[in-house]
Amino acid sequence: MFKMYIYFIASFGLFLIGLYAVLSKKNLIKVILGLSLMETGVNLFLISLGYVNGGTAPIFERALSPSKMVDPVPQALVLTSIVIGVSVTALALSLCVKLHEKTGTLDLTKIRSLKW
Amino acid sequence: MKKILSLIVILTLIVAIWHFLPALSKNKAFKIGHFYIEHAIKDTGASNVVTSIVLNFRGFDTLGEVTVLFLASLGVGFLFSGNTKNYKPEIQPSLILRVSSRLLFPLFIMFGAYIFIHGHLTPGGGFQGGSIIASAVLFLYLGSKDKKLPGHFIEYLESLSGLGFIGIGFAGILASNIFLNNFMPKGIVYTLFSAGIIPVIYIIIGIKVGLELSKIVADLIKGEENV
Amino acid sequence: MVNINILPLYLILIPLTFAFLSLLFNKLSKALGVLAPVLNLLIIYKLSYIFFQSKASIIVNLGGWKPPFCINLVIAPLSLFLAFLISLIALASSIYSIGYIHDKLSYKYYSLFLLLITGATGSVLTGDIFNLFVFFEILCISSYILVAYEKNKDSYEAAIKYLVQGSLGSTLMLLGIAILYGLYGTLNMADLANHITGINSIYLKTALALLISGFGVEAAIFPLNTWLPDAHPAAPSSISAMLSGVAIKVGVYAIFRVVFTIFGHNTLFLPLLALGIFTLITGELSAYKQDNLKRLLAYSSTGQIGLIVIALSIGSNESITAGLYQILSHALAKSLLFLSAGYFLYKYKTLAISKLKGLGRSNILVFSSMIIAIFSLLGIPPMIGFYSKFSILMSLFSSPVPALYAIVISIILMTGVEAAYFLRLIGSMGTNDISYEQNISQKSTSDWLMIIPIITLAILIIIAGFYPHMIQTVLGNAADNLFYKNNYVFRVLGGY
Repeated sequence: MFKMYIYFIASFGLFLIGLYAVLSKKNLIKVILGLSLMETGVNLFLISLGYVNGGTAPIFERALSPSKMVDPVPQALVLTSIVIGVSVTALALSLCVKLHEKTGTLDLTKIRSLKW
Repeated sequence: MKKILSLIVILTLIVAIWHFLPALSKNKAFKIGHFYIEHAIKDTGASNVVTSIVLNFRGFDTLGEVTVLFLASLGVGFLFSGNTKNYKPEIQPSLILRVSSRLLFPLFIMFGAYIFIHGHLTPGGGFQGGSIIASAVLFLYLGSKDKKLPGHFIEYLESLSGLGFIGIGFAGILASNIFLNNFMPKGIVYTLFSAGIIPVIYIIIGIKVGLELSKIVADLIKGEENV
Repeated sequence: MVNINILPLYLILIPLTFAFLSLLFNKLSKALGVLAPVLNLLIIYKLSYIFFQSKASIIVNLGGWKPPFCINLVIAPLSLFLAFLISLIALASSIYSIGYIHDKLSYKYYSLFLLLITGATGSVLTGDIFNLFVFFEILCISSYILVAYEKNKDSYEAAIKYLVQGSLGSTLMLLGIAILYGLYGTLNMADLANHITGINSIYLKTALALLISGFGVEAAIFPLNTWLPDAHPAAPSSISAMLSGVAIKVGVYAIFRVVFTIFGHNTLFLPLLALGIFTLITGELSAYKQDNLKRLLAYSSTGQIGLIVIALSIGSNESITAGLYQILSHALAKSLLFLSAGYFLYKYKTLAISKLKGLGRSNILVFSSMIIAIFSLLGIPPMIGFYSKFSILMSLFSSPVPALYAIVISIILMTGVEAAYFLRLIGSMGTNDISYEQNISQKSTSDWLMIIPIITLAILIIIAGFYPHMIQTVLGNAADNLFYKNNYVFRVLGGY
């Protein structure tokens, strides 16, 4: 029972650290890092929901019979979610590179040409 | 000012989550997980239950995921086309790096291919194997920065593999009127040639993911010369 | 191969396959970009014909398993209506793009455009919440790239703002889905609807709040829509039409699918009503002082989304019908306006309203279509916009809403503000005194390719105004599908 708390605290901790970085950092790369941390936290939370006490990986083997397996569904969902996170991070970083080319800065307070 | 506000938000959330956690740690209805575990070998023939979920029970999600990665590669390639700057490396790689990258590159590719070919038997699969192939390409770039990746050829291969995935699903329609049906013979469990269409699709996905991630890496390093 | 159980799947597969094909055959990409919405419209026509005869929703189970152990597509009047809207605006926008986008690499544009259509159609057709997340991501990511298409400083800035806010929303959405899975162990929308009997525990409230915030970023609801006034003007005009006409409506659909069908909340939903009112007021008031034409249209889109959210969150059958009616009329009118703004940008290279004085007189076809669209948005008969706004007000009067007169007065006041800036626009563009010389230029082929979709949409707005009862019946059936959760559950699960 206590094991689940450790996983939840870790995943929500990652999520909150990422959220703090997105909310209060001025450098664009740090904001994107924070976004990536938040997604890692949510993925960890999703996997830890399928935990069974004393369970093993959900793969059948020749000699072993399936005693207790952890839930395989969140693992499939997290596979998709990690790939989507990687795609968004790649796009965000290339947009940062192009933005730096055009304006010479990555400071959020200075990239404000579109206002009211 | 912004930092203080965000710290207040974070502290409020910590208090809220602390009260929130207890009910989630009880084990809830595990309904569809049990169904998939019971039916994995009988109905799909793959011994890796996660693979059978990803490619057979929820195969449509995998189609969407492959599309998202295709979008990322297309977008990064589009943003970096017509680039005029040339990124020059500041430090020349050392002798060990230069020699070992050329020696280890084929071994990495082989390892990645092993992972995605055996996706239905061991942990791993198309996405994992594809990332290893992309890290092999990155390793090659670390060794010597003036390698070139043939951009157009990779685009053609990517679209061909995407069409291959849809084509196999469509072949399921022709065979039994159900998209992404497992219509090929299921073979003997635990061996390499089992589980119907699952290894075929994973090989296609492995090649596709490897090419796409390599193209993203190459674009981010080099800029225009890959178009 | 063209079985009734497979046909709806082609609505998603055709744009996806054509997107892959247009990278292989670069020269054919323009033809593929136009062909995909045409094929989709034909399939929707056939499906609605079958639907009229049998009156039952079509459930497509993918992979041959039974729900809730598989992913299924649900084809009911609501999904068909939204898919029809998506394909219609996509057809207009893709014909327009042939005349508007003259790039060397335009095959990448058409590939991204087809993927936008795939994401939007997939999101409205699916019956599984994680599949909704995946297709929603396809929609969002293709729109992030398309906003940055023009490759100047403004579009990069707009794209990065949109991307950060959008992926923040996706993370919140995923957390909501994770909480729902942790509580009930299933991902199918009908199965979740079966288990959830009321929003009582704190966990359900948190999951609902997270899902609404996540979808709300894309749907442009009040505190979450600061990306919209930057992103819609910065995109090329055909994409602005798709974003304003299609993408934000898909976000609104996703919110209300979660609230009404999954969580089963059949009455007035107060938080969304309040957010809708704020969105309406802030959107319309901000639009008043804009000089940039596309930015004015973007703020006006925000305001109209506020009106749609007010209508849908009142929670009675006729208010949902009214909300869907408003979705239809706003999509037609706003995409027409964005396409014509792009036409003026293409010909005269400026979007400032002060510089577009008097240009309406020399482009009389486009200008009269703009007038038709503006009258429809303001709610002047006999256009379709009159019937949609009228039914929203009627449904407000016949349901127990707190502060009823305040809401009605604010809607009417905001329509007045809309009238002020739109009529100012028409007046300035149609004046007789032209301050600088303009040649009555010949129209080249690309001009005609831009003008034809604009005129077609205007004709559709007028024609749709002649059949209010037919539209009302169709949308009433669609509203039933959203509103009566038990029917939905029964059709999908088949009496579990």
